[in-house]
Amino acid sequence: MTTDHFPEEEYQRMIKRCVRCSVCKWIPQVQIKSQKYASACPAIDIYNYHPYSGGGKIILALAYEMGRIKPTEELRDIVYKCTECGNCAIACKYMNTLEPLEIIMRLREKLVKVGCGPMPKQQEYIEVVKKLNNPYNEPHKKRTDWISDDIKLDPSAKMLYYVGCTSSYRRKEIAIATVRILNAAGVNFNILKDDEFCCGSPILRTGEINTFEEFMNKNLDMIESKGIETVVFSCAGCYDTFKVDYNLRRKYNFKVLHTTELFDMLIDSGQLKLKKDVPLKVTYHDPCHLGRNAERYEDWDGETIQLMPLVSINIPPKSKRIGTKGVYDAPRNILKKIPGLELIEMERIQEYAYCCGAGAGVKSAFPDMALKTAKLRIEEAEDTDADILVSACPFCSTNLQDGIQDSGSKLKYYDISELILIAMDIEPKRSNKTTNEVI
Amino acid sequence: MLKKEILKEFQDIVGSENIDDGDVMTNAYAYNWCIEFVNYMEGKDPIPFSPVPKAVILPSTTEEVQKIVQLCNKYEIQFKVQSTGLGPWNQPSTDNSIILDMRRMNKIVKIDVKNLYAVVESYVSGAQLQAEALKYGLNVHMPGAGPMTSPLASHTSMAGPGFTSPQTGHSARNVLGTEWVLPSGEILRLGSIGLKSNPDWFSGDGPGPSLRGIMRGWMGTKSGLGVFTRVAIKLFPYPCNTKFIARGHAPMYDFEIPDFIRAYVVDCGNFKNLEKIYLRINEEEIALICSHMSNFAIMAIFSYTIESLMDKIAFGGIKKPLLVVIAARTKREFDYKQKVIDLLMEELNLTNIIGIKYDPPSNFYAECLRANLGYHGFIATGGFQSTKGQCDTAALCIRTEKKNIPIKKNYIKREVIVNDFGEGAWMTSYESGHYFHMEVPTLYDQTSLESVKGMAEYMELSNQLDLLKHLGIPFFIEGDKLHDEWGPLLMNYNKWLRKIKEAFDPNAVSDSGFYISGKNQSDLKNE
Amino acid sequence: MNEDIIFTNLAKICGTKNVSKDPKILIKYSKDLSFFKGYPPLFIVWPSNTQEVEKILKFANQEKFSVIPVSSNSNYRLHGDTIPHNNNCGILDLSKMNKTISIDRKNRVVMIEPGVTFADIIPKLQQKGLRLLLPLHPTGTKSVVSSALEREPIIIPRYHWDSSDPLLCTELIFGTGDLFRTGTAAGPGTIKQQKRSGQAQVNPMGPTQFSPFRLIQGSQGSLGVVTWATLKLELSPTIQKLYHYQSSDILELLEFQYELLKYRLCDQLFILNNLNLACLIKQVPNEIRDFAEHLNKWNLIYVLSGRGKLAQDKISYLEGDINDILKEKKLKFSNQSNLIQEESILKTLNEATPNSWRLRLSGAYQDLFFLSSYEKITIFTNLVEKQIYSDLGIYIQPINQGTSYHCEFDIYYDPNNNNLVDNVKDKFLEISKQLMDLGAFFSRPYGILAKEAYTHQSAENINALKKVKKIFDPNNILNPGVLCFDN
Repeated sequence: MTTDHFPEEEYQRMIKRCVRCSVCKWIPQVQIKSQKYASACPAIDIYNYHPYSGGGKIILALAYEMGRIKPTEELRDIVYKCTECGNCAIACKYMNTLEPLEIIMRLREKLVKVGCGPMPKQQEYIEVVKKLNNPYNEPHKKRTDWISDDIKLDPSAKMLYYVGCTSSYRRKEIAIATVRILNAAGVNFNILKDDEFCCGSPILRTGEINTFEEFMNKNLDMIESKGIETVVFSCAGCYDTFKVDYNLRRKYNFKVLHTTELFDMLIDSGQLKLKKDVPLKVTYHDPCHLGRNAERYEDWDGETIQLMPLVSINIPPKSKRIGTKGVYDAPRNILKKIPGLELIEMERIQEYAYCCGAGAGVKSAFPDMALKTAKLRIEEAEDTDADILVSACPFCSTNLQDGIQDSGSKLKYYDISELILIAMDIEPKRSNKTTNEVI
Repeated sequence: MLKKEILKEFQDIVGSENIDDGDVMTNAYAYNWCIEFVNYMEGKDPIPFSPVPKAVILPSTTEEVQKIVQLCNKYEIQFKVQSTGLGPWNQPSTDNSIILDMRRMNKIVKIDVKNLYAVVESYVSGAQLQAEALKYGLNVHMPGAGPMTSPLASHTSMAGPGFTSPQTGHSARNVLGTEWVLPSGEILRLGSIGLKSNPDWFSGDGPGPSLRGIMRGWMGTKSGLGVFTRVAIKLFPYPCNTKFIARGHAPMYDFEIPDFIRAYVVDCGNFKNLEKIYLRINEEEIALICSHMSNFAIMAIFSYTIESLMDKIAFGGIKKPLLVVIAARTKREFDYKQKVIDLLMEELNLTNIIGIKYDPPSNFYAECLRANLGYHGFIATGGFQSTKGQCDTAALCIRTEKKNIPIKKNYIKREVIVNDFGEGAWMTSYESGHYFHMEVPTLYDQTSLESVKGMAEYMELSNQLDLLKHLGIPFFIEGDKLHDEWGPLLMNYNKWLRKIKEAFDPNAVSDSGFYISGKNQSDLKNE
Repeated sequence: MNEDIIFTNLAKICGTKNVSKDPKILIKYSKDLSFFKGYPPLFIVWPSNTQEVEKILKFANQEKFSVIPVSSNSNYRLHGDTIPHNNNCGILDLSKMNKTISIDRKNRVVMIEPGVTFADIIPKLQQKGLRLLLPLHPTGTKSVVSSALEREPIIIPRYHWDSSDPLLCTELIFGTGDLFRTGTAAGPGTIKQQKRSGQAQVNPMGPTQFSPFRLIQGSQGSLGVVTWATLKLELSPTIQKLYHYQSSDILELLEFQYELLKYRLCDQLFILNNLNLACLIKQVPNEIRDFAEHLNKWNLIYVLSGRGKLAQDKISYLEGDINDILKEKKLKFSNQSNLIQEESILKTLNEATPNSWRLRLSGAYQDLFFLSSYEKITIFTNLVEKQIYSDLGIYIQPINQGTSYHCEFDIYYDPNNNNLVDNVKDKFLEISKQLMDLGAFFSRPYGILAKEAYTHQSAENINALKKVKKIFDPNNILNPGVLCFDN
């Protein structure tokens, strides 16, 4: 099943229209504050050749459609060396009407269809997900190992905390911190435990749509069967997948919230009290899947009218997904409310934040690229003179911490939930072990 | 693909990861904007792909560039250089070519605050350089193509008009010391950077004659005469206070408008008044931006989507729009400039639409300062290119605009280009009105064969009109065919240009597709 | 080559009255104020129009003799570039081509022939409310076109957008004898047709993808002979206010002028040492010396200008902004305009002088000039001052909107004192060499300095210039031997 948010005729129309302006390589021009942090695209930053950029991949899509290039490993490698962070789309759509990210995703789907994708390592983890419901090759029953006895769950609660694979198996400190906060705030919630399966994000973004849709349906059937009204996510990837990608394909009745949105509300309502001074300088990394990509597609019931020859307009105007409605304020509000904490912004933030480097299967297939990208982002964080790098996604957490370790940076990394715990005068629990995070 | 042994020699220069001769890579580099109608004009299939190069290579130093060029000479492979790569002139004219993508040469070598210039490599963008120069209260000239393009490319090899040209001039005239790898592989350093002891970048001329004379003219050689690896370009005083903060979200950022900046959009009424007003305003030396454009374009520069153009009713009915932006560092300066313009408005019976009928979003000012206004041209169809491009007096520009209208209308009537009532033009003044250029941005659909054909025909006819009516030399007189067509009517300049090519590129390795080939090569082409 | 045949043919081209081999006339072109010792010319020819120049050069190619273009018939030649380097050379004196072809107020441009002098043109322009971009108090008999072709520095650096200013388009004959027009003058159409379409030959770039006018500029007549040129004009101000600041420390003046120019706050702007300022203002040696004594060593001159109804408003805002700069930089100067009459110095800035102001002190001088970056000015001034203790005039002119500085050292001497002359010559050469070693850029190398200047330049540059010479003057008929174009 394909979605009609991006019909094939739109794809075919758009791939012919790249003007090769290179705007996709940079953050929006009016946001450039220095030479060092002007760039938007990790892929071209690392590999340098034009096809690695958003516009470059549009050209590949066209050349492929025209039969000028074949589905080879050469093509596949370029197309998959991309975290699908969407920064190219933000820059492009500042003025243009193309959809670079949609095109890249569709191109992957097409390559998968002809057996030229996903990457071998991605194929491996997809098989693992099918078998074990997680990409980490961990037994399904170990998904709930992080849950301790002192955590209060309410099976009748209408709020569900969807933990996600990464927090369940690798970044357990995030799951633990989340539930502790919810407990402390007196929020009634439940967890699916063994009934929780991979959201499918790492599968979707490789272009393997069929398997993704299986998991989507599995998850939605499960949640809907439990009468859940609100699902809360501490993982930006899961959040975005449910909010945006599931919603495109199948409507559901429950609300989705990221923990930062919920925590911000809880702080405002007084349910969460931040009483301890946290005298630290922090800088916040906007996860792509919480920020620019976490913007729902809006239904549009209008008409495309030819205003004059060669010029068509949409009546009413179609809204552009340009990252305006991403979750940027909630995490920042939280950080500003933590007493003693000083938030220093990096140059590339919000809808033009630089990617951590892990997404869309890159961490598995191209670990070097993921690490190099992380280190670029670490350098940017270091340049703020902050002590702490904080974010709100376990996948960003993994990759950025790998980057910190590899570069020997003095930065410390925290998930935002951990900082909240500290401000609540509760010590976050951390494992000292860092495992090889993905297969 | 390159022969294995040749590939190995290139790999030895840049490392194996910095050269790629695969099918996918080389095909991707064969694509560009407007290539479809260039192809059509050359009698080829109007597809957006040029000849496919044999390889793409990424040098990181001047010495690597030199070695690459030497190898090209050795193996008789042509080379084509590109920076950010916008436009068909980045494309090779033959498949026996190698593209030098200058991405890895991206240093700002220095910003010399005391001598008011910057030295940059190819892959520094205008916005990057401005962001750094801003820290010293300085500004850079950026071409109308936008701040995402390369100042090195604009200054050494391409065109040069910009929105801020009243204050920042033209790229060709802002060049100082230049480092240049000639097609022969020699490294030529122009001016004071060519000194043997204590070289420095502050002058690009001499000793004696200035070799900037062969480097470029109104247009650059577009990779036809070697590779420019570094260039010193003049910097200018930043026109207002240097805080550049845009909050909120794309595209309608909330820009903290500097204290002393103001926009004016006036209707000059008719062409005669346009000339008079344009000259008067420029003589007062107050404008940061002083651009005439069509009604359509005036609406477009304030719009981010084609739909939002419809809101710009305030501009409806403006016959001859003129956009003026003034900016100042101090209140005194601003008060003076405002006084001047108020006096002019009174004297010339003008009304400012801005602030009365329309208030631009704050982001408009960010785009003025960051030279991003030209990008609004893409909102209608995504395809556009300019015909015309001549530069001399305001009178010439206006006359050219007038004469062009019926031709353009004809193609509008045929529904192959977008209807801007024939009046789509962009005119800017230079150096406080000492000269002016105009071009006619024309919107077309690059995916429609009819539109591409129509655009190509219109461009040819437009050029013919310039010849017939003595309207000066438009932008895109390049390539052997056009040079040989225009040369005899312009002092046989093609003969001299060809001699320069022969002298400096004896082995014809620097791609001459958008320049001129030497006598022997063009004879060969004709065989 | 038969000299008589050449002479006869030249007479046929230009008329018998316009050719001469009278030794009394030839001797005037055989030497100048420089130390260069060349050959006397074989003839002088005075063409009256472009067609004659074309014919002469074609003939020269045919008969393989050389010509040196000169634009003024005055005896005041300075640098050795118009003295033949061989015994096979005639002088192409363009002084009779002295028409002011057009003055265009609307487009702020003037079209003139090479024989037009500063004395001719300045008053004509003033009548129309226009002004040329002038060098420092030019000599009235000097050719305006020559000055522009030589890239002589102009004294209003904010109007110096490109090193080539104020030169715009040209009509010229290349060394091959081919007629050419540069910039938009190239066409399409004749000049008349271009003017009818509204053009005024104000864009110097091109035609198309090269700018031959830049090759002709600075070439000392060795690539082409210009038969007319258009030059940029500016509007004359209605108010000019002069400022004269003095200091014993050139650095603080340099710092201040940098700010003035960076923010485009003034028109005329330059620094002179006391001796040169005195030479500029006073007429006779004892007055010059006396006045110099009363001046501080370093003198910054700048002028604020305003025009029209808001002239005074402009001056007020400029003064206000400048005062802010003085406060911010903690600079304390006082305007010393009471030392000199504002009117008299404004006159020197706006007009030509009948006789060179540099000749007033001693009757002769050698000017040693080059381009420098900001930082090195004091290194160079110190070097020269350590070796020339007296009668040394210094002139520092920011050019090209402050991206470099013309540094000029005028060594004044009595030309009748032979010992002194030899001494000056030796010092001139020695100091020039030292300056070159330190990175002084002799972008306009004349006469005896040229060879040395080119030894300091990369071989690739010289090769490239020689290629250019081979294209535009393959038979080396134009001023052979100058620059790096050896015979």
